Amino acid sequence: MNAGKMTQSQKMMVFVLSMSLYGLATLFTELIPSFQVGIVEFSVEYFLFIPLTLAMLFDPLSAALGAATGELVFSEIMLGQFGGLGELEKFLTVTIGVYIAGRLVKNPKNRKMVAAASILGVTVQQAMGCVVDILKVQFAVEDFEAVAGLPESVFFTEGFACLNDILFSGILFCMLPAMYLVPKLYGKIEPLLGVKPRDEKTVLEGGVLTPKNILICVAGFAVAIVAELLASGGYELIDWEAAWAESTGAFVAAIVVAAVAALVVIGIIRNRASRTAQSR
Amino acid sequence: MHKLTENILDKFSIDFLRNQVLKNAYGNDDTVIAKLDPRVLLVWYLFFGLVPWFLNDVVLLLGLFLFVAVTTKAARIAPLVLFLFCLGVFSQTGYLFIVALFFGGNTQTIAPILVMTLKVAVVSLASITVFSGLDPDRLANGLIWFGCPEQLSFSISFAYRILPVLMDEFQNILLSCRLRGNPPTRKGFFGKIVWLGYQVKLVIQSFYPLMLNTAKRSRTTVEALEIKGYRYALQNPEVKRMKLSMLKVGRNDGIFVALSVCWVLGCVALSAVV
Repeated sequence: MNAGKMTQSQKMMVFVLSMSLYGLATLFTELIPSFQVGIVEFSVEYFLFIPLTLAMLFDPLSAALGAATGELVFSEIMLGQFGGLGELEKFLTVTIGVYIAGRLVKNPKNRKMVAAASILGVTVQQAMGCVVDILKVQFAVEDFEAVAGLPESVFFTEGFACLNDILFSGILFCMLPAMYLVPKLYGKIEPLLGVKPRDEKTVLEGGVLTPKNILICVAGFAVAIVAELLASGGYELIDWEAAWAESTGAFVAAIVVAAVAALVVIGIIRNRASRTAQSR
Repeated sequence: MHKLTENILDKFSIDFLRNQVLKNAYGNDDTVIAKLDPRVLLVWYLFFGLVPWFLNDVVLLLGLFLFVAVTTKAARIAPLVLFLFCLGVFSQTGYLFIVALFFGGNTQTIAPILVMTLKVAVVSLASITVFSGLDPDRLANGLIWFGCPEQLSFSISFAYRILPVLMDEFQNILLSCRLRGNPPTRKGFFGKIVWLGYQVKLVIQSFYPLMLNTAKRSRTTVEALEIKGYRYALQNPEVKRMKLSMLKVGRNDGIFVALSVCWVLGCVALSAVV
């Protein structure tokens, strides 16, 4: 095997592993109700330590993508909580957070490095989610500024939830388990997939975080914001034609627009179908 | 109060969760919704998942809400999923309302929040109908037909098959950890917190053997896939065509679409009258 590079099927193994484990964990967290003590919410927000651990031991990108897919499939689609385009935001933030954390760790036996990387990954993920959430509420409720007390409350609740998640879930459910699991699994789990353990030589080529990687992450975040905003609702349409927001004709117009969109979609589908029919 | 918490904790055993999830995934493939064509349902979802965001009329939104509630009933969704849905929708917006009051809002604040709640409810019920009511394999095929990456549809089919196995295994590991452990007493408030912490620690620790076992299993899975030429099949249009040949739009799909259109038009007319 050439030094430390994983083959395509080994990457697939990591993908499947990360997907099924993190999917199972998110399924549980989705089902366990959170309980609130006063205003502080104690919830097992997520078991992000699983993909973090895997990303530190194996190829970070496969582990990150697997985790995001697992969450999407197990806890969203299986439980019927699929939010459409809005899920793209979660998918991308989880991927970016886990990927960054996984790339940072050079020596999995170094507990300090593992701890720092995992808490950084959680912070990145949560902060991105927080920004997107604030923007979302700002655009979803029209006359955002006009509703008394709403802007402050949104900033307050979102900021507080973010901080709460980083400090509570981040430390208890990501940092400590990762510190426990990564050195313990190191050297044991890799042979099961036929991979060499990560060390100074087999660590990812091109340094820890190249500018290219950072650029890709930032671009991913931008896509996440756009997707979430689009998902939460054509605010632009409302902005352009504020006049129709209160008239009944508006609803008919909206529905006609939707019907046309549906027809266009069906047309595209027909085209595709006929093209595939021809090509065979 | 003590009785109540006891009761809820009883209900939320792993067995209960597993039963509910499996029932949700496999238990309802004989419903009206499950028999519809997945492509039609996905287009239907596109409408009911997008249009509510553009509307601000309470009557119309209520009408749409009633309709998706009926389809959800028809899809026979597991009660747990519905409970989670209610919890999610109302805790989110209710919490926002209380905090808005705290920052000097008044009862006027409730109107936009009510509209937002209705929007969220319609969209999530539509998604529950489509994604929870459909058979996973049919859903995956429908997604492929719309050009989703095959990785995703593979993940869906794989997840539904592996889930029972994984849950069983996780439970076995957890039980054997419990058998060997010595849990702290649950006396008093402090004792309860220590006990809870112990349980959480146990769950995290049982992921260690689970990770190793799953690593072995995922290697077997991928090797089996490779033997069957999975990655070759991914790119082959012939395979895709064979896979999708089972999808057919029938009379029931037409009736369903016609019913949806009539209902929506009726709601529009009603909101115009009111």
